[in-house]
Amino acid sequence: MRKPDSKIVLLGDMNVGKTSLLQRYMERRFPDTVSTVGGAFYLKQWRSYNISIWDTAGREQFHGLGSMYCRGAAAIILTYDVNHRQSLVELEDRFLGLTDTASKDCLFAIVGNKVDLTEEGALVGQEKEECSPNMEAEDCVSPRAPKQVHLEDAVALYKKILKYKMLDEQDVPAAEQMCFETSAKTGYNVDLLFETLFDLVVPMILQQRAERPSHTVDISSHKPPKRTRSGCCA
Amino acid sequence: MMSIKAFTLVSAVERELLMGDKERVNIECVECCGRDLYVGTNDCFVYHFLLEERPVPAGPATFTATKQLQRHLGFKKPVNELRAASALNRLLVLCDNSISLVNMLNLEPVPSGARIKGAATFALNENPVSGDPFCVEVCIISVKRRTIQMFLVYEDRVQIVKEVSTAEQPLAVAVDGHFLCLALTTQYIIHNYSTGVSQDLFPYCSEERPPIVKRIGRQEFLLAGPGGLGMFATVAGISQRAPVHWSENVIGAAVSFPYVIALDDEFITVHSMLDQQQKQTLPFKEGHILQDFEGRVIVATSKGVYILVPLPLEKQIQDLLASRRVEEALVLAKGARRNIPKEKFQVMYRRILQQAGFIQFAQLQFLEAKELFRSGQLDVRELISLYPFLLPTSSSFTRSHPPLHEYADLNQLTQGDQEKMAKCKCFLMSYLNEVRSTEVANGYKEDIDTALLKLYAEADHDSLLDLLVTENFCLLTDSAAWLEKHKKYFALGLLYHYNNQDAAAVQLWVNIVNGDVQDSTRSDLYEYIVDFLTYCLDEELVWAYADWVLQKSEEVGVQVFTKRPLDEQQKNSFNPDDIINCLKKYPKALVKYLEHLVIDKRLQKEEYHTHLAVLYLEEVLQQRASASGKGAEATETQAKLRRLLQKSDLYRVHFLLERLQGAGLPMESAILHGKLGEHEKALHILVHELQDFAAAEDYCLWCSEGRDPPHRQHLFHTLLAIYLRAGPAAHELAVAAVDLLNRHATEFDAAQVLQMLPDTWSVQLLCPFLMGAMRDSIHARRTMQVALGLARSENLIYTYDKMKLKGSSIRLSDKKLCQICQNPFCEPVFVRYPNGGLVHTHCAVSRHTNPSSSSPGTRT
Repeated sequence: MRKPDSKIVLLGDMNVGKTSLLQRYMERRFPDTVSTVGGAFYLKQWRSYNISIWDTAGREQFHGLGSMYCRGAAAIILTYDVNHRQSLVELEDRFLGLTDTASKDCLFAIVGNKVDLTEEGALVGQEKEECSPNMEAEDCVSPRAPKQVHLEDAVALYKKILKYKMLDEQDVPAAEQMCFETSAKTGYNVDLLFETLFDLVVPMILQQRAERPSHTVDISSHKPPKRTRSGCCA
Repeated sequence: MMSIKAFTLVSAVERELLMGDKERVNIECVECCGRDLYVGTNDCFVYHFLLEERPVPAGPATFTATKQLQRHLGFKKPVNELRAASALNRLLVLCDNSISLVNMLNLEPVPSGARIKGAATFALNENPVSGDPFCVEVCIISVKRRTIQMFLVYEDRVQIVKEVSTAEQPLAVAVDGHFLCLALTTQYIIHNYSTGVSQDLFPYCSEERPPIVKRIGRQEFLLAGPGGLGMFATVAGISQRAPVHWSENVIGAAVSFPYVIALDDEFITVHSMLDQQQKQTLPFKEGHILQDFEGRVIVATSKGVYILVPLPLEKQIQDLLASRRVEEALVLAKGARRNIPKEKFQVMYRRILQQAGFIQFAQLQFLEAKELFRSGQLDVRELISLYPFLLPTSSSFTRSHPPLHEYADLNQLTQGDQEKMAKCKCFLMSYLNEVRSTEVANGYKEDIDTALLKLYAEADHDSLLDLLVTENFCLLTDSAAWLEKHKKYFALGLLYHYNNQDAAAVQLWVNIVNGDVQDSTRSDLYEYIVDFLTYCLDEELVWAYADWVLQKSEEVGVQVFTKRPLDEQQKNSFNPDDIINCLKKYPKALVKYLEHLVIDKRLQKEEYHTHLAVLYLEEVLQQRASASGKGAEATETQAKLRRLLQKSDLYRVHFLLERLQGAGLPMESAILHGKLGEHEKALHILVHELQDFAAAEDYCLWCSEGRDPPHRQHLFHTLLAIYLRAGPAAHELAVAAVDLLNRHATEFDAAQVLQMLPDTWSVQLLCPFLMGAMRDSIHARRTMQVALGLARSENLIYTYDKMKLKGSSIRLSDKKLCQICQNPFCEPVFVRYPNGGLVHTHCAVSRHTNPSSSSPGTRT
């Protein structure tokens, strides 16, 4: 098994679509998923680096595992459902605490999934998928409601997190860059999300490597020990 | 969930061996160290068995245990735990909260009576930090509340090295290096007893379920997590593997790579650490111990001991492949990389990839199959051999044994489904086409190209011809038979050609054109053959089919001779006379060939020129004969004839003149007379017989081309004389004469012309001529004046030079020395150079040049 160079963790309440986001990105499809048990992960090769992406279980039952998964994470994707305000509230109440074990310079991304189910998302979906008009009309009967959570709410949460982590806004990527609205179903913004994070994570890997003691032993620079002139009769 | 057979459960110690029929005796703990198996019971006995493994060829090994010894430890308590320290030859026995050391062979306690007291449970450090080979590191959970103690245990003594107190009561422990993995009352933690740093892993509920802490390898532990999860954690507190989902009430867990084995009340479950899937379930009731000992997994009920014998990985992979579970097989194979020597692994893995490829292939998953064949470096012939008759009969290929797949051939694989068959063939076509130029093809390019040719031929694919006209390794006999079978005669010809059998190729093509065999590949096959022969270096072959191509079409057929590439012609392998001889029967072709020689190649040989002229003439005569009566305008051939007669100086004029006699071709006769220098006669014909004044004028022009002006003037005067000779009665001629004069004023000597002209002609009539002649004359006069002036001035310059040289006198004395020999002059004779230098006459003779001037001097 290739050894991962960095870790990204998906957190969020159950049923917000963490597994679907990951599968959309890794496997380019949107299958029906069952509730994740415990956790799962993928290894993604990004340029010459291996990045492990952990999918965690949102169920309360597995909540205790979260902080272990977050340990040493370089980035954490906090996921909510744009159609359920509570899922955003949960991020702050339940999940933010789990991120204490992440690495000090850990990045945070806040992702509102399932925009395809909102009224605006329907338009996005239309452009994306180029559905025939009839199909779209039928689909419109399905529960498309005004979005419950807006991007500004996510931005507000992002700023709260920075305060919680006691980070200066100037030292971290801007809220606008790190708050996404996605649809795992249509693929909208999914690649953008992951690839933005990968690009931000790579310099962190390099920095880590620079700080870590070198694995190579330099034989050539070895200095012979000074001979001490000490005989028994000296 | 599809399952796989990874383990077989076999009995190791029968109940009778242990307790006979004593109902209340139960097994409490088990230890296995090499062939030594120890069992502790609730009635305080320790049993020692020798375990013997007997391999069975087709199936799991069987085990027999022979009892060596049994010893009562002298308490009324059960034996809780047993651990062997083989380096010390000691067995660590936990009984009644005390760990005593007993001899591994005779089970006697050490004489020193060394023991660790107050232990609730203990663990050995399998990654010891002390570096002393004669001691083992033991970690105990003390009976003291919230206390862990580290001991060093020697052969006959024990030594405490560290005591750690924990935040909560510990329930289970495992050790790796300085790291303790602890199950506390509400959570799992990692504790470094060297630095004292603790790290929380995750919470769990000990009231619901007893914890499991299991070291599974260097710096990694397996823990029972909430919700029936087997969680992995490293000493850094990180999970590097996804958890496995086992059952809610697991009581024991073990690892036998790449599987995690878990025991609950009713089953033993097997999960893969590679894909986290459950792979096998073995019903096993009342089990209460599951442990792995150096790779051997032992389970026990309270009455009997069993061994989980792993199936060899290769067998497991084969089973997976047999049930077409390609993905899983590949994951397992890749996972096995660490456990198998590199060379062996590579061979095995490649084979698995190939097998997997065939499975995908059989399911028509061609993309996947191709990738697997490629990465598995499949001998392409394995694939080709699936298709009946594709491999050449001469191929030495035999399928690998054991076989990579279960199919005899494509018919069996597709069960006769023609559509599937076609898809398979299409795939093979593209696959072979891709690999034929890669190194995969090395060593059996013949087999690949022959197979590809057969596929193309069968499918009527355009690439068949491309294959044959580029570098290929198609075997002749096999391919020829196949092409014939599929009536690809044109392609067969290409194949013959590629194999240097041009004669066979051409014969075959000729047969197609003749309609003896049917092949509509090329509608222009005749032209193709002509082209082929044109570039064919084999002279005999060209001669052999020359008649055939000429019979088909003289004009096209003759290209065989006329269009041959230049470099070859220079070798002159074809003798023009032979060709002419051959072409006798084909007049049109002969004309074309002679034109080629005379006009294109400019051969200066009288015969060809004469021959061509005669042929033209004959044709003209023939045309005239057939078109008699109709207006005799000049045909194309006639034009050619005239052009030849005019341009060429090589043909035999008299011979042709003879042939022309009485043929009624005045123009041609005129040209011939002209060639003989009989201009008067020629012009006479033109003017009087033909009355074609333009032609007569033209005659004067072409006949004098490249000759000196007087010759031209002579011609024009001759023509004018002919016009005028007829007298004023011949009005037309007079007009012609006027026109001639007016148009070509400069070609005449005006003074002569004026004397010849009748006095009656007005100046008006001859105005253009007169003006032209006048202008010409004035021009000539002025030119002459200029020339005269120039000559005069040149003469003047020379006179001046002469005068200058003669102007001054020279005094010769005996003091003057010759400039060449530096001697004085003894005679009055001397030579003087234009620059004034004086020399002896004999010196000037011996050296004709002026000593200080480059130009020869003049003597004075």
